[in-house]
Amino acid sequence: MAAQASAPGGTSGASWRARTRDTASGWLFLAPFLLIYLVFLLYPVLQAVIMGFFEVDLLVIDDREWIGIDHYVRMFWGTQMTWGLTQLWVWRLLGLLLIPLLWYWRRQGSISRNFFIVSTIGILVFFVGILGIHPGQGGRWYDSQFWLSFGNTVLFVILSTPLIVGVGLAIAIALNRPGRLAGVLRTLFFAPYVLSVAVLTLIWAFLLNPQLGLIGPGFEALGLEPINWLNSTTWAMPAIVVTTLWWTVGFNVVLFLAGLQDIEPSMYEAASLDGAGPWAKFRFITVPGLQRTLLLVIVLQVIASFQIFGQVFIMTRGGPNGATRVAIQHIYESAFRDFELGYASAMSVFLFVVMIAIAAAQFRFLQPAES
Amino acid sequence: MALNPAVTTTVATDAAAPRAVRARRWVFLLFLIVAAIVWIIPMVWMFSLSLTPNEVLQRSTTNILPVEPTLDNFASVFQVGLTPRWLLNSVIVTGVTTIVTVLLSAMAGYAFARIPFRGKRIAFPLVLAGLMVPREAMFVPLFLMFAEWDMHNTYQALALPRIAAPLGVFIMTAFMAAIPREIEEAAVVDGAGRWRIFWRIMLPMSVPALTALAIFTFVLTWNDYLWPLVSATDREMFTITTGLASLQGNFAQATELGSLMARGVIASLPLLILFLIFQRQLIRGISIGSGGK
Repeated sequence: MAAQASAPGGTSGASWRARTRDTASGWLFLAPFLLIYLVFLLYPVLQAVIMGFFEVDLLVIDDREWIGIDHYVRMFWGTQMTWGLTQLWVWRLLGLLLIPLLWYWRRQGSISRNFFIVSTIGILVFFVGILGIHPGQGGRWYDSQFWLSFGNTVLFVILSTPLIVGVGLAIAIALNRPGRLAGVLRTLFFAPYVLSVAVLTLIWAFLLNPQLGLIGPGFEALGLEPINWLNSTTWAMPAIVVTTLWWTVGFNVVLFLAGLQDIEPSMYEAASLDGAGPWAKFRFITVPGLQRTLLLVIVLQVIASFQIFGQVFIMTRGGPNGATRVAIQHIYESAFRDFELGYASAMSVFLFVVMIAIAAAQFRFLQPAES
Repeated sequence: MALNPAVTTTVATDAAAPRAVRARRWVFLLFLIVAAIVWIIPMVWMFSLSLTPNEVLQRSTTNILPVEPTLDNFASVFQVGLTPRWLLNSVIVTGVTTIVTVLLSAMAGYAFARIPFRGKRIAFPLVLAGLMVPREAMFVPLFLMFAEWDMHNTYQALALPRIAAPLGVFIMTAFMAAIPREIEEAAVVDGAGRWRIFWRIMLPMSVPALTALAIFTFVLTWNDYLWPLVSATDREMFTITTGLASLQGNFAQATELGSLMARGVIASLPLLILFLIFQRQLIRGISIGSGGK
């Protein structure tokens, strides 16, 4: 600071005084927000990390006991742990498919050699090595519910992201035209987004009900047995995905429409003159033009999907038989049903780290891939 | 033209194309209209059920338009149960949160966009870092904090964590940085201080961004579910969102379906009306907030 003040050398004390005055008023303007921000947003993150190493009972929150990494052991470990090649093999095989993708990008020259080697090793270690670890015969996870709910969250992310992004893009492209009609249709597609999650579940729990809802009679008309969507271990998760699609796709449509506005209409005209079909226009004009928006939408979608809670908690309570139990629900119930705030904090930290890692990976992988 | 055959062919195909293209466009549009109508049916259905007497709903619930329409269900909302109280809670929490968020974000945005203060290079990244914090994952430490201060089941507890979101600061900084400096400099020459410039010039100039931020904050706060569920556990302190959620499952489902749907309609109406009036601003808010446009 002192160096900065004397740096101007020849200038008078007036500019130094002006700068001091600016500093004072700058911090004064910032202070009210910054205070609330530090106390209610940043400090809780720190607090979560710390609480993760303590045993904290909801009923006696002042009585904390340091227990080191026990919570993390409970999350990630079990009894009779072994490693197996066939454990979760479908998911691990799918994960390994990332390697040919990386290879393709490497060939395209969009990622560096070192980056390719490091991420390939990372993928191998994670999907072949770490995911193969599981409790052997007679053993069990210390907290199998944690794996169940975290797995369901990942499943929800994998099912919902391509669907909600894809449908959003399709609607946006269809709506990307001048005129009142497009505006009215956009309003209709966007309207569900302003409903609260409680209204969403109110509508959809009844809509999906085989006797009371609107879908059951349709099945009967076709001579099919109506499906009890939310009570079926197979169908409950897809039903939640469709409910979420209806609720949030309008948000993506708006983002895509804003992105589409930035593409010069003359490019489409030029392509038409060159005899390009709709697919070619989509592939060579729309997709490259929307690259930034597409990345943004996917990242936002994944982050939002990881935090899924309300629709599941109100509609199914995680049932049937845990088929829709998600990570936030597990954290919520560990804290407020089982009174284990320390353990819940540790799981929050884990969820936080996973989300940041995935968002960072998306920015790193998706950005160079298309440029 | 005749000199260049290539041009004539281009013109010929161009003239023939529109008819096929136009026909395809119409089919496409028709498909889109049908899709939009299907999209809105669940909402129309909720309105329809809310206007149908509970007795009729015992027999049939699959009418898209109300049979024997009545407003009884809406009257019952204000006679039975805590719904009016929950509405009041939501109005207070959402209103305060929105006003405070907009004001504090605008002040912080002004500091970042216009005032060359020492420490800015530390403060700005510090605030931006908050964009990465997933709010929904941090409710446990937040709960503990308010529990230590014995502040649960208060309006402050419901509002403060929402105000801490840095997205508004990000939006306001971007917007204010784009306002031409000349306008401000004229006022500086006149001897106006920072505070005066902020109120008299920067705030009025930022109305589009302020409205967008206000609408966006309003919708998110009104619809907030997890934090009110954790913090406000007294039934009296429920918001309309957590209150409505608490009724689902408890209600003798089919027998009170009409009343339940009427509560859903009442919970959504403020937002739907606001959305229809400020649609443009809300949509702008979304694209500014997430794309920096």
